[in-house]
Amino acid sequence: MMILAKLALGTATTLMVAGVYVFREGTVRVDVDEHREGGAHVHLWAPAAVVPMALHFVPDDKLRDVTAHSSEWAPLARIAAKELRKYPNTTFVEVEDGEQHVKVSTVGTKIQVDVTDPEEDVHVAVPLTMINDVIAQIAARQPAS
Amino acid sequence: MSTLTHRTTRPASIALAATLLLAPLAALAPASPAQEVTINPSSSSTSERWLHVRVVETNHKGETVRVNVPLEMAEKVLPAINKDRLHNGKVQINHSDIEGVDLKALLEAVRSSKDGEYVTVQSNENDVRVAKQAGYMVIHVTEKGFKPSKLDQEKDKSDKSADKSEKSYERSRVDVKVPMKVVEALLSAGKDELDVLAALRALSAHGGDTELVTVKSDDSTVRVWLDSKNVSD
Repeated sequence: MMILAKLALGTATTLMVAGVYVFREGTVRVDVDEHREGGAHVHLWAPAAVVPMALHFVPDDKLRDVTAHSSEWAPLARIAAKELRKYPNTTFVEVEDGEQHVKVSTVGTKIQVDVTDPEEDVHVAVPLTMINDVIAQIAARQPAS
Repeated sequence: MSTLTHRTTRPASIALAATLLLAPLAALAPASPAQEVTINPSSSSTSERWLHVRVVETNHKGETVRVNVPLEMAEKVLPAINKDRLHNGKVQINHSDIEGVDLKALLEAVRSSKDGEYVTVQSNENDVRVAKQAGYMVIHVTEKGFKPSKLDQEKDKSDKSADKSEKSYERSRVDVKVPMKVVEALLSAGKDELDVLAALRALSAHGGDTELVTVKSDDSTVRVWLDSKNVSD
C-alpha cells in the first residue's frame, strides 16, 4: 500500500513539475473563425515552451531564409519584446474601417493581434518571452559566415 | 518508536518530501509570465511620455487609425533599426533629398533666429508660415482649392468662353508645433545627418501635453500629440 502511495506521489509530482516546466512561459493561442458556410474554425492552444523546442526539428533548408536575415531583425525583435513587457494591457495600434477591426495590444505578458472581419475573425496571442526563445533558436541556427 | 509517533512522522515525511520537490516550482513561479498584471488602461506613470497618432478618414468607410507609442520604448527600439538611411537612430540626408531644399540649413536658420514670424510664403496654391514662438517652431501650411461659383457654373453652361472667377477655399490645413529643444537635438548629429534618437529624448524630456501635428483636409484628419496617457482619447 505504501509503495503504491509513494509511486502515486512520485508520478503526480513528476507530472506537476513537467506541467509547470512546459507551461512556465504561458500558452500560445490561435483562434480562426471563418464566417462563411462550412468555414474553418481553428482553436489552437499550445504551451509556448514547445515552440522553440519544435524549431529544433525544422530542417535547415526551411529556415534558411529566416536565419539568413536574422541579424537584421533579431536585435529589433529582441528589444521590442523586452520593452513591450513593460506595458501590459496596452493598445499600441488600432485600425477600424466600419467592417474591419485590427488591434495590436499587450494583454498581460502576451502580445495579442485581433482581426475582426466580415469574412473571418483571427485572434493570436503569443507570450513575449517566447519571442526571445524563438530568436535565440533562430540565431543558433544561423549559418557561419 | 510508538504507533502514535509512527503515524504522525509518516505524513510529515511525505509532506516534507512533497514540499522539497515543489520548492523549485516556487522559484520558477516569479519568472512565469502567466501571471497577469492589471493596470488601469487610462493612466500611466506621470513620468512616462506617450506619442499618439490618430488618423480619421471622413469617407464612407470612416477609417480610423490609432497608434500609441511610449517614447521610452521608441528610444530603446530606434537604435536597433539599421535599414536604408536610418542607422543608430540617425537619418542620413542629402541636400538634394527634399527638392533642393537644405533641410538642415533651414532648421539651423530657425534655431538661430529670434522669436517672431520670419517666413511667410503666399501663393495661389499654398500659404506657408514658419515662426518661432515661445520656444516652439511653428509651421502652418494651408493648401488652397478652387471651386467655381454658382454664377460661373450657369455661365459655363451657356458660354464656355466666358471669364470665370474661381472662389478659393481652404482645402487642407497643416499645423506643426515642435519644441525648439527637439529641433536642436535633431540637428545635433554630424553633417548631413539628423539625430532622430536625440530628438526623441528631447521630446521625452519635454513636459506637458503637446499638440505636435494637426492636419485637417476634406477627407481626413490627422493628429499627432504627446501626453502622459497610454490611450488616445
